[in-house]
Parts: sequence; C-alpha cells; structure tokens
Amino acid sequence: MLTIAVSKGRIYEEALPLLEDAGITPIDDPNKCRKLILQTNRDDVQLVIIRATDVPTFVEYGAADLGIAGKDVLLEHGAESLYEPLDLKIACCRLMTAAPMDAPDISGRIRVATKYVKTAQRYFASRGIQAEIIKLYGSMELAPLVGLADCIVDLVDTGNTLKANGLEPRDLIMNISSRLVVNKAAMKMKHQAIQSLLDQFEKTLAER
Amino acid sequence: MQQKDSWLLPDGIDEILPEDAKHLECLRRKILDMFACWGYELVIPPFIDYLDSLLTGSGHDLELQTFKLTDQLSGEMLGVRADMTPQVARIDAHNLKYEWPTRLCYVGTILHTRGDALEKTRSPMQIGAELYGHAGKESDVEVIRLMLETLAITGLQNVHLDLGHVGIYRALSRQAGLTEAQETALFDALQRKAKPELQELVADLAIGDMLKAMFLKLPELNGGKETLDKARAVLSNADDNVKQALADLEAIAENLTTKYPSLPISFDLSELRGYHYHTGVVFAAFIPSVGREIARGGRYDNIGAIFGRARPATGFSADLKLLSVLSKEINQREQRARIFAPCSDDLALSEKIRELRAQGQVVIQQLSGPTGNAKDLGCTSILEKDNQNWVVRALA
Repeated sequence: MLTIAVSKGRIYEEALPLLEDAGITPIDDPNKCRKLILQTNRDDVQLVIIRATDVPTFVEYGAADLGIAGKDVLLEHGAESLYEPLDLKIACCRLMTAAPMDAPDISGRIRVATKYVKTAQRYFASRGIQAEIIKLYGSMELAPLVGLADCIVDLVDTGNTLKANGLEPRDLIMNISSRLVVNKAAMKMKHQAIQSLLDQFEKTLAER
Repeated sequence: MQQKDSWLLPDGIDEILPEDAKHLECLRRKILDMFACWGYELVIPPFIDYLDSLLTGSGHDLELQTFKLTDQLSGEMLGVRADMTPQVARIDAHNLKYEWPTRLCYVGTILHTRGDALEKTRSPMQIGAELYGHAGKESDVEVIRLMLETLAITGLQNVHLDLGHVGIYRALSRQAGLTEAQETALFDALQRKAKPELQELVADLAIGDMLKAMFLKLPELNGGKETLDKARAVLSNADDNVKQALADLEAIAENLTTKYPSLPISFDLSELRGYHYHTGVVFAAFIPSVGREIARGGRYDNIGAIFGRARPATGFSADLKLLSVLSKEINQREQRARIFAPCSDDLALSEKIRELRAQGQVVIQQLSGPTGNAKDLGCTSILEKDNQNWVVRALA
C-alpha cells in the first residue's frame, strides 16, 4: 500500500492530472466530503489530505510514503531527512519581499512579517541585513499597513493581493514550485512501487 | 520551575519504568552475551571527555550535538559524549595497540543537544560493536552479520538491509577536482536525491560532460540487485576506486545472501549518511512501519591516526531504547514467579529466603505495618511454616 500526502486547494487541483496520468484517480472529492483518507481506483494507493505545512512531517515519519509539497514549505521545514527527487512544476509562484508602494529602503534593522521565519532569517542574513522577524499565520499584507512591520516575505502569484493593499513586490527570494517528496525508508523498502510512480511522473512532466 | 511541575523532565529526556526497564535490560544482556560469543570484548568509555578527543575525525554535526562544559581543574573544554565510536577507536589505537584485528563492543547513554528530526530523544542508549585492523570484505560482512544477529535477538521481523559506499562519491569528486564548497553543495543535494537542484549545481561546474553525466545519474542508482549492473554501465568512465567499490558491494551482498537467503538487500549509491566520517561500505537496517533506519554502520578507516595509530575500522551501532520500544509488543514478557515471605525474625526463615534467592528465585519479604499482602505484591506463592520447616506453598 502506498500512501500519498497532498494538501487541499491549489496543489491538489494541479496534482490531479499528474496522478491521473500515473493511473491514480481518487474516488472521493475532498471538496465534497469530509474524509481525510481518500481511496483511489487503485487498491494499493490512497491519498491523505492534510495541511500543506504538515506534508513534510507526515512523510518524514513514514505516516505517508510520498507527498507533494511546495518548495517554500520544504525550505522552512528543513527537509534533510526526506528525498525530494522531482520538481513537479505545479503550483508555481515566487517567494518575494514586499513593501508599501514607494516606501524608501530602510537602512539598519528592519522588521519583517512572515510565516517563513527560518527562510526569511537566512535570506536577510545572506544579504547582510539585520532583520527582526515577526511570525504571522496569515494576512501578512496587513502588517506594513498598520505599522507592525516594514516589509513582508510571502508567496506572490499574480500580485493582485499586494496591489489591493498598497504594497509592491521588491526582491525575488526564489522561484517556488511543488516537489514530490519520498520517505527514506519507503524508498528502500517499497522501491519498485515508488520507482515506477516516479518514472511515470517524469514521463508526464517531460511531455508537458 | 513551579512546585507542581517538579515531575517534569527536560525535552527529549526520558525515564524508563519497571516493565520497560526489565525488557530493555533483558535485551541488553542478550545482545552483549551474543557479542561476547563472537569474540567482541566489552569496553566502558567515560561519560565525559575532552572535547577535542570526542570530536576527532567527526563533522560539524557532532560538534553541534555535543553538550559542552568547562573543566574547573584544567580550564579545558569537556564534552558529554554524543557518540561513543571515537572513544572506542581511541581505546584501540592508544591503549590496546594489538597488532592483530581487535573486536570491541560497548553500550551506554549518550547525550544530544538537539533531538533528531524524527527521534525526539536526546538521550539514546548507544549499543554497538567495532572491528579494527582489517580492511577486507570479511570484516564488513562480519559486522553486518553482527547487526542482523542483534536485530534477530529483538525479534523484529522483516528486516531490510540497505548497502551503500561513500567511496564512490568521494572518488568522483576527486576525479572532478571539486573544491570543498562544491563537494558540500553537491553532497547536500545528493543526500536528498534532489535532482532538480543537482542539475542546477552540476550545470555550473567547470567539469567535463562525462563527469557531469555521472553526477546526475547518482541519485538514480538505488534499488535491488540490478542497481550494481546499472551503476557499472553509468559509471564506466570512473576511476578504478569506483570499480573496486562496486565489486566489493557485490561480493558482500552475495556473501550475505548465501547466509541469509530471505534477507531483502537494496543498494543506494547516493546514500551518504556519515560522509565526513565514513570511508567505504556503509549499511543500514530498516523495518516496515518505521520511517527511518533502526541500526546503521560502516567503514571508517584511519580514524585512530590522531591517537597515534591509523587502522582500518568498521562497526555498527543502534539505539537500545528504540530497539526496546519497537520489540516490546512482540516479546511476551516472561513474568518470574514471586514468593511472598512473612515479616519475621526467625533465623530459619532468613536462611530459607537466602537459599531461594541464591537459586535465582524472587522473594519479597513483608515489612512491618500495613505494607500490602501477597496478592498486592504480585506473588503467586507464599512461605509458610510447616513443623519446623519453611516451605513454599502455591497461593490459591
């Protein structure tokens, strides 16, 4: 039995065609039922639907053999204890800094609101900037408007949310896409099943 | 700390209660007895030691993992061991100095400053065996067999063996003339089998296409027996060290297959666990339902050089606490019969109790006052006076 951990929402929607090409179709629709374990057309494959930030944890412990997680989540989690063999090139966006439109650059210590605490720390340290990181769980865009922070670090897709709140994207930290992650023990003990799935994904990706 | 929290243990520190302690101790004895039957002699290295000595030949990781304190007597930095292997290597190199292969084993608590990502414990009980002074395949096989026998004692089923060889990546890096920084960056990507990142890194290297292709193929070289054939084709342009490594792996796997026909063996040529430390064959054991290896080891030649003598070395270790937890469910606990003795100053009674205990029986003597009866104390029989003699009677 292979268990694949996927998060609801954009990653799930964009992963479906990939899974379908690999011959895996979920029987239930997670948007319509409340089940957290989804059976598929294959007896030997099931999906678990969890929060995006929990995907590396589930796969690390072997609670799921495979998972689909954004590179942003993997960076923040620290994924040395996982294999991440494939870039699925789905749910693409950019991890960026953003600040109020026309705000001048701040010299010295800056305050940054983000949910990517470790990634932001590493990024500002590599730029030689002293940054005080404020951990938020959502609505990052609000922080500069109410004086909580000078800038934010967040995922940017279209940039519309930023614009609507009077912010503009500044520096690109990195391009983000979803990766296929694999539990180390599963890669060894369920090698054939996992390898054939990897090959299938790779084939589909090459054809795109 | 508030009074009401005084029972609280630090993060990652545990206490083991009677039932579990009994099982762990039983395992510990059985494993050490088995080591002794293979000719491995027990050594007991110190719990704290000079930091420099503890960190010999190890990477940055071990330094982060080591609790440090200052020696008030010498002003030197001391460390609490985070790994016993360098200590045992020192014993071999400095104290024993045998000219022939030396077999040593050890068990003891080690401390880690940070819990592992998976195992939250910061105080594992490391148990292991090391074989010094032999550089051939026979010693690799012996140590792997010792690991498998250890797992057999725990009763864990469906053990899976994974073999790798850090010499392959090392030889390729040397052939490509990588700088230390480049080697570390590639190592990081390989360790995660992160092919997309590896592609970016390799594209930036000023090395021939032939070498690039070999680096890019490394993360794919894992799986069953076919992996070695695939590796020979993919790495055909590598130097002789790589060819020797592949030949060694094959010979070791064949040898083990004849001894353990049902043991599943897989190969992973980009498995670089302990890369800074290991020099040759590395191996790990897995079982279903645990997302990581449960015992690991490999070759680490010449670590003793700093203590005055470079010797080939190989060994394995595991966390006894983890093995104990995993095997708890499988092993039916043998409950030893307990005998209840009344509270009495009768000399004949003390004599009888001493006799029974010398035979290995468990005798619990009642204390004065309300101290519980035979049933409360889990006793199944009782000592009673019959004419002038004390005899054991089964309780109804």
